[in-house]
Amino acid sequence: MNAVELDHVSKWFDRREGGPLHVLDTIDIAIPQHASVAILGASGCGKSTLLNMIAGLVEPDEGAVLLDGIPSHAFRDWRAMTYMFQEDRLLPWRTAAQNVAFGLEAGRMSRAERARRVDDTLRLVGLDTFRDAYPHELSGGMRSRVALARSLVTEPRILLLDEPFSKLDPEIRAQMHAELLRIAGLRAMTLVFVTHDVEEAVVLASQVVVLHPRPGRIGTVRAIDLPYPRDPLAAEVAEEVRRLRISLSAASARCS
Amino acid sequence: MLVKTPPRLMRQARTSGVGRRAGVLLQRLALLGLALAAWQIGSLQAPSFVLPSPARVWHTWLGLVATPSFAADFGITLGRIGAGLAFAALVGLPLGLLLGASPRLGRFFEPVLTVTNTVSSAIWAIFALIWFGLSNWTTIFVVFMTAMPLILTNVWQGTRTVSAEHLELARTFRMPRHKVLTKIYLPTILPAFFSGARLAIGFGARVVLVAESLGASSGIGYRLRQAADLVQTDQVFAWTLTLVALMIGVETLVLKPAEQRLFAWKKVAQP
Repeated sequence: MNAVELDHVSKWFDRREGGPLHVLDTIDIAIPQHASVAILGASGCGKSTLLNMIAGLVEPDEGAVLLDGIPSHAFRDWRAMTYMFQEDRLLPWRTAAQNVAFGLEAGRMSRAERARRVDDTLRLVGLDTFRDAYPHELSGGMRSRVALARSLVTEPRILLLDEPFSKLDPEIRAQMHAELLRIAGLRAMTLVFVTHDVEEAVVLASQVVVLHPRPGRIGTVRAIDLPYPRDPLAAEVAEEVRRLRISLSAASARCS
Repeated sequence: MLVKTPPRLMRQARTSGVGRRAGVLLQRLALLGLALAAWQIGSLQAPSFVLPSPARVWHTWLGLVATPSFAADFGITLGRIGAGLAFAALVGLPLGLLLGASPRLGRFFEPVLTVTNTVSSAIWAIFALIWFGLSNWTTIFVVFMTAMPLILTNVWQGTRTVSAEHLELARTFRMPRHKVLTKIYLPTILPAFFSGARLAIGFGARVVLVAESLGASSGIGYRLRQAADLVQTDQVFAWTLTLVALMIGVETLVLKPAEQRLFAWKKVAQP
């Protein structure tokens, strides 16, 4: 069974004037288990809405979004799927460790088990020495790590990411990419992320779905069969980036 | 401006904080001295039943503290304020959270708040006297009716600062509603609750006297009225002094430490 399946999904948003806005138009995507799929598009092409629909935060107007075969808004397994946002969304009144523990507080779990998992996950992202720091005492990169740890602590099978590292410096972003790939490989997770950064898509994804804007439609779908880790400076990687840039600019040229 | 402070700078700030605190203390003492001097000069111009001198009030106060009924009256008033505030917090905090978290309930109950906020404490005291007679409940009720809307309003306002991003985060974890209330709403509104409680304590301590002087046969308010009826102005002053001391004590021994503990996570604000 596919980890995530979007079946003829369409979405309209109500507007105050000018009638409903067509955001997404008959989207069909099937994401197999353990895949890493990038949804690539310019801003305003509906990619965040698409991810929010997979997360069950937004319901589709037409079609169905299935997680492990279950409609996503009815998906109740709080540990199976987590979402890492563009912003870190840490709770300022909680320490790093307490913020990570938040990921485990939706359901029932023994105190000892919770503490063990938080410790393990903090170690996994290299933050065990900062466990008692409050968010305002951490750098942007470290806050990102805490947010990542919060998404990983439930040991999810599906991890959704909405331009999660876009606000970080390039070097730290590259570090976070390597970290994410290492952990995803370790845990055999399915990754679904949206990005406008072609290079990020090529470095992380086994499949790239290019989304055309207004309304969001699927354009090119490219499988990227390169071994990990991928060096953005390597010739094959650069070639993939170039090709995707072309299809992306073709998509935005058509709408303007 | 709020900025991140490296540990070294923070230590410097702390040592200069000691100096600043000593400066503040000096200013406070100077102000106290000034007030005492003005009081002394004033008391020389007026008969003692109008304005007794500081020294006379001090002696009266020492005598007052020595009487066996002092501790009882003091304790009774403190207990009534405490009970009224406790009920106010028990009702105001959950109700404010609920009304803030549910816009529909909030819209429906909004007029109730307007009413409770406009009715004066003296009116509540009269009602309480009719309903409860000369009992503890009269005073507790008046403190409650004054403090509860203050806490409720502050908590309700506080729920508006709850971040939609944090709520969305909780939703992605499929967090049940009651946990969202305790883990997102409650910590967010805690500073607002605290400023509401601070107001409530101040108002509570003031209205308790109104209530006690109208409808009680014990407590500081009752003694105040007794002293006034007998034109024992020095007694009135001594009781007032007691109350001021009580409020300063509550502020420095309860509110300040509690705030420092609860809000240790906040950024250090630099001048």
